[in-house]
Amino acid sequence: MNYEIVIGIEIHCELKTKTKMFSSAPVSVNMQPNTCVNEIDLGHPGTLPSLNKEAVRLSLMACMALNCEIDPLIKFDRKNYYYSDLPKGFQITQQFYPIGKNGYIDIPTDNGIKHIRINRLHMEEDTAKQYHSGDETWIDFNRAGTPLVEIVSEADIRSAHEAMIYVEKLRNILVYLDVTDGKMEEGSLRCDINISLREVGTEAFGVKTEIKNLNSISNIEKAIQAEVIRQTELLESNQVVEQATRRYDDVQKTTILMRKKEGSIDYKYFPEPNITPVLIDSEWLKSIRDNLPELPNHREKRYMDAGLNAYDAGQLIQNKALSDFFDQLIKDTSYVKLAANWCLSDILANFSQKQLLDKSYDLKYTEMAQMINALGKQEISSKQAKDIFVELLKGKDYHLTVKSLNIEQVSDHSVLEKMVEEILNENEQSILDYHNGKDRALGFLMGQIMKKSKGQANPVITNQLLLDGLMKRKP
Amino acid sequence: MKEMDVQGFKALALQCRFELSDEEAQDIKNEFDILISQMRLLDKIDTTGTEPMIYPFETVSHFLREDVVEDVLVISEVLKNAPKEKNGFFVTQKVVI
Amino acid sequence: MDIKSLIKSTSVEKRVEDAVNRSHSVQNALNAMVSFIDPKDQLEALGQLSKNLPFYGVPVILKDLVNMKDTRTTGSSGILDNYISPYDATITKKLKEAGAIIIGKSSCDTFGMGGTNMTAWTGPVHNPYDLSRMSGGSSGGSAVLVASGVVPMAIGTDTGDSIRKPASFNNIVGLKPTYGRISRYGVIPYASSLDHVGVFTRNVKDAALSLEVLSGRDDKDMTSSFHPVEKYSELLTGSLMGKKIGIIQNVVDSIKNPETLNQFNDLCHKLEEKGADIKLIHLNEDLMHAFLPTYYIIANAEATANHSNLDSLRFGVLKEGKTMDESMILSRTAGFGKLLKKRFVIGSYALFTENQEEVFRKAQKVRRLIVEDIKRVLDDVDVIMAPASSQGAPKFDDAATDLLSSEYLIAENYMALANFSGYPSITVPMGYVEGLPVGVNLTAYAFEETKLLDIAYGIECTTGIVDIIKEVTQ
Repeated sequence: MNYEIVIGIEIHCELKTKTKMFSSAPVSVNMQPNTCVNEIDLGHPGTLPSLNKEAVRLSLMACMALNCEIDPLIKFDRKNYYYSDLPKGFQITQQFYPIGKNGYIDIPTDNGIKHIRINRLHMEEDTAKQYHSGDETWIDFNRAGTPLVEIVSEADIRSAHEAMIYVEKLRNILVYLDVTDGKMEEGSLRCDINISLREVGTEAFGVKTEIKNLNSISNIEKAIQAEVIRQTELLESNQVVEQATRRYDDVQKTTILMRKKEGSIDYKYFPEPNITPVLIDSEWLKSIRDNLPELPNHREKRYMDAGLNAYDAGQLIQNKALSDFFDQLIKDTSYVKLAANWCLSDILANFSQKQLLDKSYDLKYTEMAQMINALGKQEISSKQAKDIFVELLKGKDYHLTVKSLNIEQVSDHSVLEKMVEEILNENEQSILDYHNGKDRALGFLMGQIMKKSKGQANPVITNQLLLDGLMKRKP
Repeated sequence: MKEMDVQGFKALALQCRFELSDEEAQDIKNEFDILISQMRLLDKIDTTGTEPMIYPFETVSHFLREDVVEDVLVISEVLKNAPKEKNGFFVTQKVVI
Repeated sequence: MDIKSLIKSTSVEKRVEDAVNRSHSVQNALNAMVSFIDPKDQLEALGQLSKNLPFYGVPVILKDLVNMKDTRTTGSSGILDNYISPYDATITKKLKEAGAIIIGKSSCDTFGMGGTNMTAWTGPVHNPYDLSRMSGGSSGGSAVLVASGVVPMAIGTDTGDSIRKPASFNNIVGLKPTYGRISRYGVIPYASSLDHVGVFTRNVKDAALSLEVLSGRDDKDMTSSFHPVEKYSELLTGSLMGKKIGIIQNVVDSIKNPETLNQFNDLCHKLEEKGADIKLIHLNEDLMHAFLPTYYIIANAEATANHSNLDSLRFGVLKEGKTMDESMILSRTAGFGKLLKKRFVIGSYALFTENQEEVFRKAQKVRRLIVEDIKRVLDDVDVIMAPASSQGAPKFDDAATDLLSSEYLIAENYMALANFSGYPSITVPMGYVEGLPVGVNLTAYAFEETKLLDIAYGIECTTGIVDIIKEVTQ
């Protein structure tokens, strides 16, 4: 039996605001428990919500970048249920009128560009964090009330790989907008996968399971692959797939049942009476759109227009912090391909992601750019560049480094001519070989000159002088 | 409208995280019949084409709160009313999924 | 005497001490107070404030739905019996900033959900005019503490008539301003779209003064209004000349008590003599019959959701179980009264997704029609008026405690029109029926408090029933 994989993805993304969605308490990361809350976040009797402007702005930016239709009248609803991490006994969310809908992103697949539709993007607030320990559960409300956007795709995704690319691309867009940190390991980006199988050619959806608590992009692909195997085995042996929530165990490399879906809970959604609809000013909307940061696609195109190939451009934009570094570098050098190579290898090898994000390094862009320029003009060799780079990492100046390492390049024609003459005189056989069509002789002779000059001969000039010299000695 | 009996009311109460005794549930059932007849008064009113009124005033707002930290409770105030707490966390009996 | 005169003619120490003493001496008879507050700290802080403040050193009382930092705020419930507020409601802040000295938290129907004050966790509140009768509710405690002379002003809340009915039963002024006029931040809610904060006083001037102090936009309450706050107490003229007053015929027709009708007719004649233009207006009778179910459905549904935070995890009286769910259930079962549970069940029923269209949203649609009807009649008059109750306070035994019964007449429930619409409404004393006070209620259009208060003042000048203190006999 041939099965088609049908996947829809829900992403919850924490917004980078200073305060909570509905209160002026600070948003926290790694703070002492219950130190970033006020009476509103704790759901004390008599408290009321107050909507965060920055959360709205970031949500609007996300809508725009994801090509959503925007509803400028912001409305909220209550989702009612009882749980220990839900202080008010309801979550304030946007059930009936999401801020954005009917969006999409395009992802590259083996069969070309694929259009993945986004059903909705809405604002809501996060719940508290719980820690289970034996017979007790410990609760920290610091996270309660943190602004979230929930982004729900249509079930347009057809493979584990597509799912991974979708999340990667979406995450990257949100990071470029600076609306979120997008750190799956820390929980600022959470991904729930809804997956079902159906016989190829049928339209009806199969029973779906939900996979939650994925903590990395790579686990998305692995989890889906494992679940596809599990569901296929069930269906092939004429068993049913049960609706359930599962998690991925990356040791066992399988999905594990968390809980079965027993009927659906009635959340009794109704409009939030304490928040009267807020109309977004069209001037503000326009200014947000006009000032939208550069998106990954645009940057990728900019890099390709500047001369990078698709692969290098794609690699660079995957990591915004690195790409930002690259942008700084190419302000002072037009050897973009070289700059890209150095970024993708040496920079990544020497800086942690945190250092790149915080820009906490001593290396100066201008100095590195000079090195790249010299390398591009072949004024220095690759080996010399590597040695120089070691010093630049310490924050040193390019020219001073070149001097201190004695990497003076010899470009003086008369000096080089003399060297060329000397080498030619010492290597009569090579001259003959060259004129007999053996090109390797040229390389050999160049090598000899380099050795003689301790690598300091300007390769371009030297090459030309050598060729001239060889022509003069044509037998 | 969903039909309700004593068991139905007890189940509904449990959904709201409290319990009704049989007597209390019966009491509600009796009064519910009166409530239904009251709600029939609503049925008499033609609401075709009428939108639900959610807020008494429907002028749209333009207010959005600036993203500035202002009100935080010190930990002693946060935990002051906590029925059970340990090391700064609120504690409850185990949460059964 | 009014508050301004009180400030001029007494010392802070004396008036606060008198209030505190009296609050204790009436407690056995009235059972109106949940928590007595030692005013020591507030009196000390008063030293830093200007003597020109409108409530300088004036003792006041908060309904126990109102949060005041470091005091018990119980909502007159069992589950919050041990709750100590970590924060001040906005109105609490405003009162402190105006120099007021808060001497206690008064009893009410649990979470404001009732009309008798018999559901309070601390027991029923008694009417100072006849201790065998109820205070009325839900703001019964605040009402009787003003009526018995303990304080000149007390805060109440009004969701269906919870200030304006007890005012009628206690011979005092009860003001519910326009929705959003006074911030609800820090006030334990009943139904968010119907709740109003308001005041009890013994004269209209003090109500106007209180309104000035309490009103204004609060960014912590997104439903609070930006409408400018006027100097209401300075705009009172008392002139009724040319004022158009619409008598709600439907209410008058449903009142059976002849003495009440006589008192009311009498009043109307007197007002006409003073130049008021009295006319009869009719609201749609079918809609009026729908007031009660519309109110119950919307109010109980919103209340059920509002009180989902009471799980005894972060605050509240905990009854521990073996699991988190069990703890929640045990705590809520023990901490809610029978009547409260009933209302939550009904509220929850209305919100069932499959019922919502037929029940909750239907009620919301009827609400809109009701409000349109009220607006229609207010287009032609300055205020609409009717007796605030069909007679005086019922005896406890007679109390229809919480029957959703068709016995409720239009006369007893029409005042919800001011909650549906959010329009400002006030009850002032009208006279005595069978020896018990009965008030008259007026409602004006949105944000027309100045007009409303002025006409109420005119009525007060006409009846002469003002600044009445009912001494409590033990």
